[in-house]
Amino acid sequence: MSFREKSAWITVVTVLLCFGAYFGAIAAGWVHARGLGALYLLAHSVIALVVLQLVLILIAIRTTPRDGRARHDEREAAILARSHTIGYYVLLISVVLLFVPVHFGHPPADLLNFVLLDVVISVLTVAVAQIVMFRRGA
Amino acid sequence: MAVPIANQIRRLRFDHGEMTQSDLAEKIGMTRQTVAAIEAGKYSPSLEAAFRIAHVFGVRLDDVFQWTE
Repeated sequence: MSFREKSAWITVVTVLLCFGAYFGAIAAGWVHARGLGALYLLAHSVIALVVLQLVLILIAIRTTPRDGRARHDEREAAILARSHTIGYYVLLISVVLLFVPVHFGHPPADLLNFVLLDVVISVLTVAVAQIVMFRRGA
Repeated sequence: MAVPIANQIRRLRFDHGEMTQSDLAEKIGMTRQTVAAIEAGKYSPSLEAAFRIAHVFGVRLDDVFQWTE
């Protein structure tokens, strides 16, 4: 497995873990979406995400052969470009869908969480698209 | 989806002292995974990369790649 595919897996796992915990706690009602509790939880989630990604990336660098860590070439650049295009459209659609909660009168804190969820979904889409394309060899 | 371009990279590597995919990748400035994808017909390289591959083996472009449709 190349370093770039490992990076995509690391993104999927860490984002699912950290933001899964954040949105899970909000959805379950353990933390109220409005207030300092949510802010602290979000800060902890982001810090955990950064630390986890740093540690896992360092492990990936140590366990990936030199050729797997080489500068990305034309095929990898094409995969990165295509995956970001897919992620862009997912973000575009999910942002447009934000008009629904706005019209139902959701409070600003909820809307901010919806925006954050849109970003998380688009990041996951980019990483999953990369994994699929790397696996296919395309 | 497989592209309609056949290639002789596996045979050419064999003819050049069992050159590994990593060796070829290093010579043309690509990753081993990309060389494997080209060899398997899953990825069509750019014209520049195709010429680089032909240059490494010292053959013409159509000795490496053939259009199959």
